[in-house]
Amino acid sequence: MQVHKSREPVEKLVTEDEAVSRCVADGDYVAYDFSSLTRGPQALVREIIRQHKRNLWICAEFTLHDSSLLVGAGCVDRIDVGFLGYGNYIGRAVVEGRVQVFEWTNGALAFRMLAGARGIPFMPMRNLLGTDTFLQSGAKVVEDPFGGDAVCLVPALNPDVFLVHVHQADVYGNARIFGTNLFALEGAMASKKVIVSAEEIIEPLEFRKEPAKTTIPYFLVSAVVHLPFGAYPGGVPGRYELDVEHIQHLNEIETEDHMRGYLDSCVYSVGNHAEFLGRRVGWKRLTDMVCRASIKEGYG
Amino acid sequence: MDNVAGFTDTELMICAAARLLEDRKTVFVGWGIPQVVALLAEKLYAPNLVQVFEFGAIGPQSLTPFVRGTMGGPSNIYRSLQWTNMNWAFSYAATGYLDYGMIGALQVDAYGNVNSTLLGGTYDRPGRRFPGSGGGNEVASLCWKTIVVLKHEPRRFVQRLDFMTSPGYLTGPRARERAGLPRGTGPYRVVTSQAVFGFDEETKHMLLLGALRGIAKDQVIRGMSFQPMVAEKVEIVEPPTQEELRVLREEIDPARMIIGRPA
Repeated sequence: MQVHKSREPVEKLVTEDEAVSRCVADGDYVAYDFSSLTRGPQALVREIIRQHKRNLWICAEFTLHDSSLLVGAGCVDRIDVGFLGYGNYIGRAVVEGRVQVFEWTNGALAFRMLAGARGIPFMPMRNLLGTDTFLQSGAKVVEDPFGGDAVCLVPALNPDVFLVHVHQADVYGNARIFGTNLFALEGAMASKKVIVSAEEIIEPLEFRKEPAKTTIPYFLVSAVVHLPFGAYPGGVPGRYELDVEHIQHLNEIETEDHMRGYLDSCVYSVGNHAEFLGRRVGWKRLTDMVCRASIKEGYG
Repeated sequence: MDNVAGFTDTELMICAAARLLEDRKTVFVGWGIPQVVALLAEKLYAPNLVQVFEFGAIGPQSLTPFVRGTMGGPSNIYRSLQWTNMNWAFSYAATGYLDYGMIGALQVDAYGNVNSTLLGGTYDRPGRRFPGSGGGNEVASLCWKTIVVLKHEPRRFVQRLDFMTSPGYLTGPRARERAGLPRGTGPYRVVTSQAVFGFDEETKHMLLLGALRGIAKDQVIRGMSFQPMVAEKVEIVEPPTQEELRVLREEIDPARMIIGRPA
């Protein structure tokens, strides 16, 4: 039960350095919303790497290069797999046993988060059954006490930390996401600590004017960070498109040398996200990403 | 149909699969080839097809050209009926609202079970590791009719999967129901670069229904590592038409990231 979060409407706007050092501890279970390519909390992931967090266990749902970077940097040693994508680097890490994986599915992980958000110990569902995925997961099969059929139970997920990158937030942690999500509200409810990074910080009154747009209310949230282009190199729907070239570069990482080179250049050698954008990405590229985001419908 | 030579295996698979989807039905769409199949079907055969994506886009009219990596991005969720999240998307499948599911596969066996997790070795030390289920297990477990799309190669049609990621008919008749999967669901068609398969009602064994024009059924079977059952009359699968290829190459995937280039 998440009784320890403060209900005080205090200002929580901090730097990414402070948010991560305060909320993420070695050994934590970390989950995050959406993918490496769309509204993923990539700036927060880079900050976790920059701070050399260790022995993290991540929920890899819809993950692509972010899980490779976290494993390559030595931050993560266990992964719950829904979709552990993009190729050779992460594939080899699994084959060589450098990271331990537990087999779930995207849906099972989402249902686990829903159970965590509802304050119940498990969720029954009618899939995973009969497969090797079931056997390698922590799920159990029981007889439905009401109907008698076999039913699959998946344990609640209550992460230590949940990261979510949003379109708009206020200083207290109220947050808005436009478009789709994986389990933004569920993750924020289920998790002990929640870091919201936001493209834009808006006035608290705006939330009161249009409450239907609130995705996450402030009392679920531990820290708020203002990180424009916080999903880079992925995109944020309605704001900017992804940087295809940078993502292609990430996809080609195969060797340890190559990984080390990327991390040195894009994470360790820059002090924070703003410096990364200014010195490694550049205004021209960012402007281009904004210009390419021509679809605005539904993102206001 | 107005047929043409010079198409890729993937183009054939996409066209054959798109012809299976019915208008005014729902389909749960997996990543990559299934996305392109759904787009082609929407443009040519099923304008009122409701596509459902696991990240919560319900019924989008996705913009083309298709760009790989835009799963969840604005062009992929354009003009949806509803934007929701993953728990609700899978709940639509779990409550029986989704007529078709469409997924890819590394390997498939005679009962339509699918591997998309690993090849060789053991689970703890696989020979080669792949992304895993994603939402494939949910699609194959919960949609009424699942369509599996994969290349026609012996190493893909195997006696025994290296790992069973997503369920077909498991070990045979009634095995799905015994395992607790919803009654009446299961694999419906397997579409390859040479043929279309269904499943025998009684044995749940894979059944050759159609072979690409110009390809003998023996050749189809030689391209597999198990013997499928063979329908009394094996239909002819027509190669892609001019119109299908034009839409694929000019409107949907001009960069040819998914469809490839003909040799």
